[in-house]
Amino acid sequence: MIFGFEPIEYLQALVDGLLFGSTYAIIAIGFTLIFGVMDKLNLAYAASAIAGAYASWGVLEYVPLPVFITYFISAIAAGFFGYIVYICNFRFIPARNQLATLLATVGMLLFIDEVIVHATSGVPQSYPALFDDVYIEFGELFGLRGDLLFIFGLSIIATAILVYILFKTPLGMATRAVAQQPVAAQLCGMGVQKTNATTFIIAGCIGGVAGAMIGASIGMLSPLLTLPITVKGLIAAVIGGLGSVPGAIIGGLIVGGVENFFLLTRGVTERDMYVMLLLFIFLAFRPGGIFNTSAHRD
Amino acid sequence: MKRTLGLLSAVAVAAMLGLSGASEAADKTIKVAGFGVKSGVLRSFGINTEAVMNAAIEHINTAGGVKLADGTMAMMEMTFDDDRCNAEEGISVIRRIASSDAVIAVGPTCSNVAEPLFGVLQGKVDDASDSGLQMPIFTDTAIKGGLAKISEWAFRNVPNENEMYRTLYKWVRKEHPELKTIFGGVEEDFAHSRFTWYKVMDTRAKEAGFEVVGFSKWLLADTNFTTQVREMKKAKADIVSMSSHAFTLCGMLKEMKRQRVKPKLIIGLTSSSTTETMQGCSAAAEGIIIPTSYAPVTDAAKLASDMATKHGGSTDLHSAAAWEILHILKDVIETSGVEGKPDTVQADRRRIRDGLASRPTTPGLLGTIKREADGEATKPYLYVTAKDGEWVVLHNPL
Repeated sequence: MIFGFEPIEYLQALVDGLLFGSTYAIIAIGFTLIFGVMDKLNLAYAASAIAGAYASWGVLEYVPLPVFITYFISAIAAGFFGYIVYICNFRFIPARNQLATLLATVGMLLFIDEVIVHATSGVPQSYPALFDDVYIEFGELFGLRGDLLFIFGLSIIATAILVYILFKTPLGMATRAVAQQPVAAQLCGMGVQKTNATTFIIAGCIGGVAGAMIGASIGMLSPLLTLPITVKGLIAAVIGGLGSVPGAIIGGLIVGGVENFFLLTRGVTERDMYVMLLLFIFLAFRPGGIFNTSAHRD
Repeated sequence: MKRTLGLLSAVAVAAMLGLSGASEAADKTIKVAGFGVKSGVLRSFGINTEAVMNAAIEHINTAGGVKLADGTMAMMEMTFDDDRCNAEEGISVIRRIASSDAVIAVGPTCSNVAEPLFGVLQGKVDDASDSGLQMPIFTDTAIKGGLAKISEWAFRNVPNENEMYRTLYKWVRKEHPELKTIFGGVEEDFAHSRFTWYKVMDTRAKEAGFEVVGFSKWLLADTNFTTQVREMKKAKADIVSMSSHAFTLCGMLKEMKRQRVKPKLIIGLTSSSTTETMQGCSAAAEGIIIPTSYAPVTDAAKLASDMATKHGGSTDLHSAAAWEILHILKDVIETSGVEGKPDTVQADRRRIRDGLASRPTTPGLLGTIKREADGEATKPYLYVTAKDGEWVVLHNPL
């Protein structure tokens, strides 16, 4: 026993955290993608991801669909919501006005949240999961949830698709070009607005997958999800390095692991304190995050 | 001929006077101010309360309304304000209600609003040194124990959880003598859940002879319950007793199912015997036992349920209390000399307060409700269990 727990219990907490952290990672990818391209934060991102999951639940209420199709609808709907967020919060607000877009997205986050609350009266809704009856046990103290393993796998696939789009397609090249030099990209004939809108749609689709996976991992959807997922996703993106896709993945896994480790050792009331502490440490000593090598302190 | 004409004129004048009196009666209103949470994740509580209040008012008004001190009838009217489950907002709402012509306020939903809100009322009636609000409040939902004693203007029609869980654990002990250990769970950041675990469930379970082998904590907005369920699994308790609301209760139950944690019995929090739990996790909740002060088992309860549905809400142990409150108020208004005039609002509030304070019992949907001296109620209750996606009565302990 180490500090009251078996070593295997620490391992279990870390593994659980890492697996659940994959959902934070996908949300963080969305934050980082938009930040990378526009140099702006979209705080309504996680809310539109959850809204996508709600939309798929809404369809499921009327049409019985296979679970995979439900998740697909979530991705498509969240992509649409991502576009709406772009139009409302970014498209017509001057690029130099950073604070206006930030506050606009906060407003959009609260708006989406309240729309969900009004549509469902705040009542949690059952959401379908895949492999939730699969539980792989290794002795009495260690086990792996089948659904979390699936989510982990799906997160990797989603990330791989994103990396492919970013680095192997003309759209990805345009996205990277606009991110690096918007004026030069425009001079080369790339439409900045079009690229930005496409980025929001792609990020939205990835968010929709995350929203569906979060709903599936709990087995429910609730408006309670939006704020914690926004905070954790943002922390993951900052820790990994805003603008870095690999950073977002590592950041998400770290946040999930740290959160669960301290949940086991210090309890639920202290858990988030340590996650915040981790964020402060990064902001103080490595403000650019793990993967931002150009970051430096003033 | 003259006599006939005179008679007819007299009849006509009398009829006109009568009509004008009737019109005056129809114009008379008694205003009740409802308030609770209608935004955020607890919105369904406010929606249900408002719907049930509207249903009760329709029921009362259809039967003629309420009789005032002068013998005329008045229609009941209501408003409903959103306090967003926020203490400052709740206090602001009650101040607004106090400056209106409402004779009583019905609410709030949340205990964290009720506690500070009762604090702004006058503590003791006729205490000249206390400038607190002199406004009667009758609470339907905020359930945290012992709040009404804060002010003599506060009354509650919420179930007595101490009594409910005392008898429930005793009953379980008697019915299942082979079950000896309990593992608890609590939604740590919710006032009602905390109070019920630490002050009610834990204590009453031990009193009934159970050994509480441990408990887990989680937060209202938590999404991952793997660690808590592992703690539960490790404890290997016979019974799991969880003090949490629908969202996290469902999260825990689904996680228990995944990790194949199958206690012999699961006991839940009063507030989770609602449609929300059934919508969120009916399969995982199968077999859970919860004490509740409402089930549509009497004609009156069925009527309340049907009328609430018509008004866009549903009855549960919280919202059904609002139906009872409005019918209790009708009785109090009719027997306490309430005048219902614009210049007697404050006097009417005092009459209603005194009328409520003097009642040893009031009628309820499941039977007679005992009124306590401190403004609390002891309501009849049942044990319900989740079966095939519905709440069904398991046992009537009374």
